[in-house]
Amino acid sequence: MPINGTLDPGAPADGAPRMEGLATDPLRLERAQILHVLYEIDSDGAEGLIPPALHPTVPPTASFVAWRLAQSDWGPFTMAQVRVGCRAGVRPRGFLLAAVVDNPVAAAALTARWGYRCEPATPVLRRYHDRVAVTVERDGVTILEAALVGPEPVSGTDVQYTANMNPAHTSDGLRLVQVDPEYEFHRADRGRPSLPVFDAGAWGDERVRPVFPVSASSTVADVTMPRIRYIARLDLPALQGTTKIG
Amino acid sequence: MKFGIFYEISVPRPWDDGVEKRVYDNCLEQVRLADELGFDQVWAVEHHFLEEYSHCPAPELFLTACAMVTERIRVGHGIVVCVPQFTHPVKVAERTAVLDILSGGRLEVGTGRSATWTELAGFGADPDETKQTWDEYVRVLPKMWMQERFSYQGRCFSMPERAIIPKPVQKPHPPMWVAVTSPGTELDAADRGLGSLGLTFGGFSEQERRIAEYRRRIQLCEPVGAMVNEQVNTVNFLFCNEDRGYGGATGQRLAGTFTYMAAQLLAAREAYPTRSYPSVGLLPQLRQEAEGPGDPSGLPEGLCIGDPARIIDVIRRWESVGVDRINFLLNAAETVPQNEVLDSLRLFGAEVMPKFAESSRTGAA
Repeated sequence: MPINGTLDPGAPADGAPRMEGLATDPLRLERAQILHVLYEIDSDGAEGLIPPALHPTVPPTASFVAWRLAQSDWGPFTMAQVRVGCRAGVRPRGFLLAAVVDNPVAAAALTARWGYRCEPATPVLRRYHDRVAVTVERDGVTILEAALVGPEPVSGTDVQYTANMNPAHTSDGLRLVQVDPEYEFHRADRGRPSLPVFDAGAWGDERVRPVFPVSASSTVADVTMPRIRYIARLDLPALQGTTKIG
Repeated sequence: MKFGIFYEISVPRPWDDGVEKRVYDNCLEQVRLADELGFDQVWAVEHHFLEEYSHCPAPELFLTACAMVTERIRVGHGIVVCVPQFTHPVKVAERTAVLDILSGGRLEVGTGRSATWTELAGFGADPDETKQTWDEYVRVLPKMWMQERFSYQGRCFSMPERAIIPKPVQKPHPPMWVAVTSPGTELDAADRGLGSLGLTFGGFSEQERRIAEYRRRIQLCEPVGAMVNEQVNTVNFLFCNEDRGYGGATGQRLAGTFTYMAAQLLAAREAYPTRSYPSVGLLPQLRQEAEGPGDPSGLPEGLCIGDPARIIDVIRRWESVGVDRINFLLNAAETVPQNEVLDSLRLFGAEVMPKFAESSRTGAA
């Protein structure tokens, strides 16, 4: 049967956010500009990047995701996140290593309501004529530069984004919180992926080593942040350790 | 109704010394028995890099071994990947001709294009191009088999005039099929006069609708080969036991193991935004069927698992919606002990196959 992750299930506890409750209302984020860059990562030890609840994809992957909101209930904000591709049982998922948000109000809400581990840093997402790029700086040092090069239009139905598994402290203990936003696409482009800068250590696990470009998409979408429907223990396979909420 | 067996050749971890040999030996033993019992076909996939799920990258070799240890059963590529980065079309024509010769004219040629990023990227293939290259392959293969000399100026390959040898035993050429996973591909098969090698189930009503449209469209086809192969082949799981409860439980374990492993694969569509892959292929449909609504016994209604009486009922329903052939997955990651797989086959051969012998004799070749 498929390999399970071997990350110490207690390891994500350091830095994992605390969620006071899991009952959160959906929230609509209108016309989010999204960049999604996918790379294969070094398979040597890839199972060590995710907890036993999850299976690594074959081949293992990491996704570099940025959202830019010109307006929201929390004001304008930009978020970037790094995730390791995985399966929770049979479902495609992304295990969140870390996120950065440039708006403290948005960061607090994303942390408290959806379990995003938000680090202090400054993400900037820009669309140029020939590329869409995100740059993340911390203390004057660039820790991520990812881009879509040569955008060409595709249909929103051609794009597939996977849900997050965010490690967070809950009233049940440390859990993976499933966050599966809904997307209504207004525009979609794809292009060549580029990853000039990635400081894996700054994103929580220096063992993440991108080795092969897969794809890049840039979309404009209305994103509905969901209510929390499932949480899962980190130490048991997801089929055994998942709890339905509400 | 004709029956076949279908191999992904899944190999469970740990991959200790000899495990792949044991799995291949088990498969060959099943094929020998299936031949003795009167099964009509054995099919083998072509997959690469799909850890545990399928260790079957060289089906032509496995199928040659099958042909060497059997007398009647037909051997089928299910499928040949028609993408140049995987195999040049001349190589496909050559090796299939050799297999047709060695098997004494028992070859069936399924065609397809791969559906995982794992495989496509592994060979440096462009997911946007695979539908076009598949289309080109199915149009040139019959010519390569039939023409004394062949030359071609095309989109994915070109070549000066050469004698592509040897030629298949079957004349004008072996039957050709198309792997149907994405909705609508059965119409691609129909338009080209090719058989529909269904690798997904769907429900009875969904299949009935798709088969009816396939049959309507194929009447209007422009055949890519020298004959039309109007046949609908589908895949299913098989575990047959006198005890319905045990048979059903074991069959569900088999189906569950297969679908769980299949879900781990990185589908092309999941990794790469493209309209070339409108669905994620085999996986959701298989899962839906394995977990789908149950019949009164609680078993998924379309699966051939349980006791002979139940399996006969299920097959009659597939027959009623227009399916001509059913191919069975017998195991997944060796989750069913080999002796139970063989007993299941024997019981199916003794109790179920005779009920369909008449329709098989009167059906199309």
